[in-house]
Amino acid sequence: MRRTAGEKAPRSGPTEVTPPDSTVLRRGTFSWLLPRRSALAAAVLLPVVAVLIALAVMASSTGMSLSESLSGLIGTGDPGTVMIVRDFRLPRVLTGLLVGAALGIAGCLTQTLAGNRLATPDLVGVNDGATAAVVAAAAGSSTGMVGNWWLGPAGAVAAAVIVVLCAGGAGSAGYRVLVTGIGVSTFLGAVGDLIMSRENDNTAGGVFLWAVGSLNGRDWGVGTPLALVLLGLVPLALAVGHRLQILRFDDDVAASLGVDLRRLRASALALAVALAGTAVGVGGPIAFVALAAPILARRMSGPTRVPVTGSALTGAALIAAADALGRVTAPVELPVGVVTSVLGGPFLLWVLFRPDRATGKA
Amino acid sequence: MSFAQGGRPRSAGSRPSETPPSQGLSIPSVTTGLVLLLVALALLSLVIGTGESPATRAWDFLLGDPAARADARIRLAVMDVRLPRTLAALLVGTCLGAAGCLLQAATRNPLAETGLLGVNSGAALAVVLGLTFFGADSPGTLLVWALVGGMAASAVVLLLAGSGRTAGSPLRLVLAGSALGATFHGCTSYVLLGTQSTFDTYRYWTIGSLAGVETSDLVPLLPLVALGLLTALGCARPLAALGLGDDGARSLGHHPGRIRLVVAGAVSLLAGCGVAVAGPVAFLGLLAPYAARALTGPRMTAQLVLSALIAADLMILADILARVVIRPWETPVSVLLAFVGGPLLVWIARSSRLSTAGAGA
Repeated sequence: MRRTAGEKAPRSGPTEVTPPDSTVLRRGTFSWLLPRRSALAAAVLLPVVAVLIALAVMASSTGMSLSESLSGLIGTGDPGTVMIVRDFRLPRVLTGLLVGAALGIAGCLTQTLAGNRLATPDLVGVNDGATAAVVAAAAGSSTGMVGNWWLGPAGAVAAAVIVVLCAGGAGSAGYRVLVTGIGVSTFLGAVGDLIMSRENDNTAGGVFLWAVGSLNGRDWGVGTPLALVLLGLVPLALAVGHRLQILRFDDDVAASLGVDLRRLRASALALAVALAGTAVGVGGPIAFVALAAPILARRMSGPTRVPVTGSALTGAALIAAADALGRVTAPVELPVGVVTSVLGGPFLLWVLFRPDRATGKA
Repeated sequence: MSFAQGGRPRSAGSRPSETPPSQGLSIPSVTTGLVLLLVALALLSLVIGTGESPATRAWDFLLGDPAARADARIRLAVMDVRLPRTLAALLVGTCLGAAGCLLQAATRNPLAETGLLGVNSGAALAVVLGLTFFGADSPGTLLVWALVGGMAASAVVLLLAGSGRTAGSPLRLVLAGSALGATFHGCTSYVLLGTQSTFDTYRYWTIGSLAGVETSDLVPLLPLVALGLLTALGCARPLAALGLGDDGARSLGHHPGRIRLVVAGAVSLLAGCGVAVAGPVAFLGLLAPYAARALTGPRMTAQLVLSALIAADLMILADILARVVIRPWETPVSVLLAFVGGPLLVWIARSSRLSTAGAGA
């Protein structure tokens, strides 16, 4: 990684040191450290997300022109168009963005916590807990339809609580929780499998569709609670992510700097579980976003940062793009989970392994 | 612990001279115990089962009682049904245990499991394709599809991981494996969403079972398994050197990237055979190395042997339970592995000082 010297070093004294990848912004007595690379990444990502929103609103198998979609969005088009855009597409697109952001942040927190790229939130049992709850509900009902949207989050949180209770503490680097999480989620997944293996094929098909991850038919009734949850949790996640930078050092160093690591780890885990659980409850266990978004974001913001904002934007962009793609690939609409996993893998590898740049320890 | 490395200095004691945290048990005695347990479980597996043949009669058959030997029903139950299952459980357990141990050491990532190289998702995709487009339906045919698919998928992953300027780095392996695995998995979902009939068969394949395995299906796998296990044993020392970090390994004359690719090849062989026989039971390949590490500490060869033994024990135990939990029906073996192994993993995680690892991948 190239380290650029901070050219705008403050002139207030030789003892003050600005991190090399940051710029100090001053206004009177207030000063703020601006991480240059992360800010640039966010500045690039935001318009990308905006363009994706427009495309996703437009994208459909019915073929609506850009001007028609926009007039529908503003409300000047004919009533049918307005209804389609405002009541069906817009909530679905926004829900997708929120789900992606939540998954991205959750993945960023767990990966940073463990210092391990394979440490995604689903290891803490959120996916299997949500799926088990949905399966149990579907098996209990006569229709085999997937029930209320809150079943998923409830199952996810319940699973995470079981994991934390079983682990009896986060352990070093959160590893004990992660390994316990693998044990518990395998167990829960088996419970789901067992219920499913005794169900008829209709129920199994319905649950399978849910377990692939889809945003089909997600409207304001789902999007609004999700948005409220995110509004509450994202600021907390930003704060915790900032503190997590200390984990680059040894635990002893962190302790000597006065950081209560146990509390920090516990709060990061709790946030990750809440975010991922809500996202999984709304969109189903959409594959791969929680793994890929933080890796891509870290690639943009440089290795020394905890890219919470970047992961949120990347996750949102991935899901919005995947959902839009899935809707235009006629004849059948592809669930977003299929698109993220089929295209997400090659995309991630292309970004990371482009032949002209060797990957450092990003 | 074998994963301590220079990515993040740790204060937790990970000096190689440290004695492993086993409760006053030496590795030879633990190994002997596990082997004896394996023999006992294998015998149990031959005498316990469903059907009209009581366990005492099966036991007489094994002891060579002439009346029992002459009984065709007992002969069928023991020789044609239970013996292949027992051998299959042994084979699958050994393969997955060894593969998981190798992969966790090679990637320096204790969260790596045998599905990481795309073996499971490749096998699943091949099975689904075979079911949908080629009319494969018998267990023997599906086994071949799964084997070929798993091997092909992991070959692609290995090619990708072995190219470029960072060829063979743990990061490259982990990312290439998980990314392509996701892709194969997505393709599988796509095919399944379109075909209801495939979905029904696939549902039962994916939760894994050893019912219906024939000895003749297993024989062609033996050379592959032998090759994988021999490579694994040959790699034990270089892998132990990798535990010192790449620079440390280089200073001892090893090529870290090359070692990892060879090991990953052995993992693909072993995991591919295991998945072909029993379906995608990835969890065993994560649990067994953990249990082995809790017993042995950083000694690589001991880890490898114990991991294979523990996995074989668990697999036979799960298969015995699969026959008797809901008589006369079969329970999927992966479900029982999860019911037995999940709590076991939690218990190990709580009781052993888990090393912190994987800062590099």
